[in-house]
Amino acid sequence: MKRRTFIKKVGFTTAAAIGVPYLLPSGRLFAATGARKANHVVFCLFAGGVRNLESVHQNDGNLMPYTLKDIDPTVGISSDIFYGINFVPPNTGITLQEQGTLYKEFRMKYGPTGHYGAHATAMTGVYTGENLNINANPQYPTIFELYRKHNSPSMSAKNTWWVSNSLGAYAHLNYSTYVGYGPDFGANYIQPASIISQEGFDNLGNSRVYSTNEEEKINTLRGFCDSHFSSQYNGAANSITNTEEDKKEIESFINQCFIDAANGAFNDPWGVGGGLFNNDMRTVHFAEKIIQEYKPELLVVNMQDIDIAHSNFTLYANNIQKADYALAHLWDTIQNTPGMMNDTILIAMPEHGRNQDGNGLYDNFGREALDHNNDEMSREIFALILGPNGVVVQDQVFSENGQEKGESIDIVPTIANILGFDNDIPGGLLTGNVLSESFY
Amino acid sequence: MRNIILICSMLILFSCKKEKNVIYKLNDVIIEQNSANKDHLKSTTEFISIAYSDIFGTIISISKLSDLTQTYKAFGDKFLIEEMIIKNFLNEPTNLIPAIDTTSETAIENFVTDTYKKLYNRNPDEYELWFVADMITKDNDLTAELVYYSLMTSNEYRYY
Repeated sequence: MKRRTFIKKVGFTTAAAIGVPYLLPSGRLFAATGARKANHVVFCLFAGGVRNLESVHQNDGNLMPYTLKDIDPTVGISSDIFYGINFVPPNTGITLQEQGTLYKEFRMKYGPTGHYGAHATAMTGVYTGENLNINANPQYPTIFELYRKHNSPSMSAKNTWWVSNSLGAYAHLNYSTYVGYGPDFGANYIQPASIISQEGFDNLGNSRVYSTNEEEKINTLRGFCDSHFSSQYNGAANSITNTEEDKKEIESFINQCFIDAANGAFNDPWGVGGGLFNNDMRTVHFAEKIIQEYKPELLVVNMQDIDIAHSNFTLYANNIQKADYALAHLWDTIQNTPGMMNDTILIAMPEHGRNQDGNGLYDNFGREALDHNNDEMSREIFALILGPNGVVVQDQVFSENGQEKGESIDIVPTIANILGFDNDIPGGLLTGNVLSESFY
Repeated sequence: MRNIILICSMLILFSCKKEKNVIYKLNDVIIEQNSANKDHLKSTTEFISIAYSDIFGTIISISKLSDLTQTYKAFGDKFLIEEMIIKNFLNEPTNLIPAIDTTSETAIENFVTDTYKKLYNRNPDEYELWFVADMITKDNDLTAELVYYSLMTSNEYRYY
């Protein structure tokens, strides 16, 4: 072979090797440019505004025994509210704090300390302004869009879920209005209480499942109709799109949930008894079902029953310990789900805190209710990053001395770093930091 | 010379004709909405209300509309939720979907025309009429339910 021919052939082969993508174990053709720390992230917004006083500082005793180690094991729950709390089963195992890194003095530094704005901040990595429109999608890309767009080929919607405790503005958080992003990259969103309910069943549960043969006829006829129609429906920018195959799977999943609900499977699936199973637990339970069914790479779930604090402090304390139980149950489910266990990082963070001073409403136990109106204490929160030993630094605590460390806007870059696509996000979009000290 | 004058006179006499009084007018044509004029997307409430009326032949109640709207908002894939809602409607025993009379070609074409008028507010064009009628003729298993479902989950049904 002549030298020129040899070089030419080697050059072509090399170019082909570089140009032809290799198939990753996940089925993806191209990898995001960074290395992953884990293949799954679950982010829990905990849980409707909780003060550091009642959580990490344990002013009324340890209301979060599943998450936090006792600061002083000799101190129990404050006697004045003790009988107002319907206690969950006691924790007999290791705390979540010991399985990861706890930031005791995180901050939501800027923006109004309202639920929607704080959620938007946590889920976009960008502080919102005073002119936030709660009837609109957020202005900046959510973590879902960043994840789906900056992994190539882009991840399917089935791989990313947003499970919210309530409707209203939260339904807008699965995608943003930012140019170049939007519903094409949004998350599958569900508010379980409205779907898996009697009304949900009445509206959706009596549908006939079409056979493959019937589906073919439908696709032929509908395809013909669509080809004769000029406008291209895209859900008017208010809908994410699953593939036809994924849609059938999700429909089947929802129908199975209806069957399970009719059989009582959603009444008290955790066996806590005694009227303890509340809406937060129900929401987290549904998130667990999605985790077990789809093993999503990214799931965000929130809890909000703690927000009863606006009118009743003791019930607020009561719901903190239920949210604590739910968070621990969520981690336990993750660690017992093949495909997720030891390959998931769970991040928990309140969206905001609550005011230092009460609002004048006293409950039956003499405690004053709390709002959240942008005072300093309503910006004080904590953050917990849990994960496999060897990936996440275990039993590490920051800010024991009370010094601030970390902000709400650090969560999105941290998730992006965990899933290996932080380098692919356009510069300037995120100003938060990766919480790299949590990882080895 | 006299013959020439006579011939010229004859030519002049018969070549000039009285101008005819012609009146131009148009035949009456029925103008119908075609799909090209549909560019307004139905809102959630409109879609649900109209679908309910098309299937049950009656106006949806406020409470039912409110429930359905809440269900609709509680899931992010609106395509999927719309499909499930329509399937649910079509499976109700009280729906007013007519069965397809397959005894004659005319009856089938009437069904197609009526369905297009009900769901799309227009007559099918000749090709659409032929295509859908032909599908029905060749396939006994293509029921009215499947035809309604196909048209109601198509893009055109979402517009007006």
